[in-house]
Amino acid sequence: MQILQSFKNLLHRKHIIAKTWKNQNKRPVVGWNSTYTPEEIISAINALPIRILGSMDTTTTLADAYLPRNACSFARSTFDHALKGDYNYLDGFVTSNSCDNFGKTYDLWRHYTQIPYFHFINTPHTNTPKSSEFLYYELIRFKESLEKHFKTTITNKTLQTAIKTYNENRTFLKQVYNLRRKDPPLLSGVEALEIVLSSMLTTKQAHNKLLKQLLSEVTTRPDPPKPGVRLLITGSIMDTPDLLNITETVGGIAVTDDLCTGTRYFWNLVEANKDPLEAIAKRYINKIPSPFMHDSHRERFNHIKQLIKDYDVEAVIIFLLKFCDTHMFDAPLLTEELKAEGIPVLNIEYEHTRSGIAPIKTRIEAFIEMVKGVP
Amino acid sequence: MTRLQTLEGFYQNHIQPYYQNAHNAERDGKPIAYVASTFPVEILQAMDITPIWPENYASVCAARQVSVRLAEIAERRGYSRDLCSYARTTIGSILTTEKDILPEGGMPKPTFLVASTAACDTHLKWFQVLSHHLKRPLYLLDSPYNITGADAENLEPHYIQQYMSQLEELITFLEKQTNTKLDKNRLRKIIELSDRTSNLWLEIQDYRRTIPAPMGARDAFSAVFFMLCIPATQTAVNFYEKLRDEVKERAKNGIGKIQNERYRLIWDNLPMWFNLKFFNYLNNLGAVTVAETFSHVWTGSLDPSKPLESLAKKYLPNFANCSVERRINLILNLAKDFHANGIILPTNWGCRMMSIGETIVKEVLYEKLGVPSLILNVDSSDWRNYNEAQVKNQIETFIETLNA
Repeated sequence: MQILQSFKNLLHRKHIIAKTWKNQNKRPVVGWNSTYTPEEIISAINALPIRILGSMDTTTTLADAYLPRNACSFARSTFDHALKGDYNYLDGFVTSNSCDNFGKTYDLWRHYTQIPYFHFINTPHTNTPKSSEFLYYELIRFKESLEKHFKTTITNKTLQTAIKTYNENRTFLKQVYNLRRKDPPLLSGVEALEIVLSSMLTTKQAHNKLLKQLLSEVTTRPDPPKPGVRLLITGSIMDTPDLLNITETVGGIAVTDDLCTGTRYFWNLVEANKDPLEAIAKRYINKIPSPFMHDSHRERFNHIKQLIKDYDVEAVIIFLLKFCDTHMFDAPLLTEELKAEGIPVLNIEYEHTRSGIAPIKTRIEAFIEMVKGVP
Repeated sequence: MTRLQTLEGFYQNHIQPYYQNAHNAERDGKPIAYVASTFPVEILQAMDITPIWPENYASVCAARQVSVRLAEIAERRGYSRDLCSYARTTIGSILTTEKDILPEGGMPKPTFLVASTAACDTHLKWFQVLSHHLKRPLYLLDSPYNITGADAENLEPHYIQQYMSQLEELITFLEKQTNTKLDKNRLRKIIELSDRTSNLWLEIQDYRRTIPAPMGARDAFSAVFFMLCIPATQTAVNFYEKLRDEVKERAKNGIGKIQNERYRLIWDNLPMWFNLKFFNYLNNLGAVTVAETFSHVWTGSLDPSKPLESLAKKYLPNFANCSVERRINLILNLAKDFHANGIILPTNWGCRMMSIGETIVKEVLYEKLGVPSLILNVDSSDWRNYNEAQVKNQIETFIETLNA
């Protein structure tokens, strides 16, 4: 299906696309790396917020000189791209509390890249009215900092417009995910991941158009994915389709996920509110939590269990990037709980390199065979 | 190369009784809390809650050479070998069925747990796991990350406010858990005591500026126990007064940790608790550790008339909770004030917070002071992540460059 190619292109030509956008619109491009970054506010200055992504097909020789061996290899990969100059077009870099790896590599980005604007949003680790208030205050400061640096004004109206466009995108993505409830699903896991990742690499307006077209065409697609063992994917950030590619060539099919590049990115909407910043603060505090949030395992595990029901999931794979502490602390509890409910679980620890993922194929294949064998 | 007299029998005289007291508290049904470092323990002490520090217990297990055995128990339950070795050791210690291998009879079971995010997100996750397995509630003090690296006087006001409002919440939690009210007068006294301990400790540290330095890392890593675990106690004050007198006397009489002091080192972060003899090896090479960042992270002056505000100002600027600039400044000042000519930056395998950014520290320190640093791949309590031959090789090469 042609339209799927558009999403793939956005992902594979991301730097060229961002640079072209910048030249054509004469507006800034701002990179971000945590799903707790309120893109709506960046978008309200008519800037293009893009998610910083790594890749598995390059070596990280430059980053290796600055990062210890025991640092997250996703953080390593993205920082390596920055050192190679791939992100030189960025006008800003925004991050937030998401994990120790992100917090500390922020120091490296500030020291070793030439990006002119940096901002750190102090996202709380708790979901309470007080923390929501605290984040609200942090967002006011973020707004003011953007206004000052980019010499512009953010009004409630521009924020409301951004919220509307973002909510629309989230709603469409949820509809796209609904297509995967069917058996076989109308989209493969690889295709769905490319769709979500691409939404972080272009304007939401442009992406919404593509999604509308996809939604109208996909129900009659001539080439639906092959059926397979229906999987839920969870774990660390998944910024390339490599792992799902492997999974889907050995008899599995990813039908849903609990990933920060999947449902956790778009599941929750910003609710209508007189004060848009307050609404945004609430959305990020209340969203399906990442594991760095206090007591988040309860809510996240419930989200996973709900998805398992709604998407007829047969088995779960937890992909853990090495040194991804917050997920690694959760994985044994999640595994235990799911197994207690009779759901087969496979834990895979991997390095963010293509050579690192090659040996995984056999393990996934054996797991899929095992699940199929279960009467 | 003698140990300080005050530190003779430190483990038997101070660590063992501390765990014995905690077991007594458990037996008598008194409240016990597991605490993560950088948590304002003063509040617990003001309410007569016995604090148990899983970090300290992990270091005890490492020193007693059982940490790896315990870590393996956690690993068999699915906890990755790359996670913090403190965390794995203590998770293993509560999951193990072989209770007789646990030093000091293990950690007594807590009434509840408290942690803060002011050191790392690992604390939050690790304590969540402990809380799950122990079936005891966890209170999280969510400390804003001090992104500008500001010191106590320049902290963002809304960070202080957020921290203080949670201290109020914490007090409510503790009152509910223990069925007692916090006595404000007692809190002020505790704050005063903690301030005194901290000042004494800093005074002791200051004598290490003397050439030759009267005290080394091995003694400091033992003696810091009071600062870390039970700062607001008369025992701590008494002990540090005695230690201060001894160190002062040595400094006055020119008695150094080693007689022929050739290299003065700063040690960042944690030691290898399973191999504290490593510092003797350094001494044999003519090197003495004159300051540790670990000895400075728990300090901070407290004002008894503003207990909650001063706790915020003590704990928010600790360098683990800050951007790298604060760590650089701390080491920079230590290097200057303590006349150091080399810096050791140990990369703790399970610790992202301290490992990432060491290259910046190394570069800036060399640029600003001309003092070289050595990054060492080690681990605080898992010797499987420690290659002694390699580490010694690196140290010896490093020391040679200090000669040149």
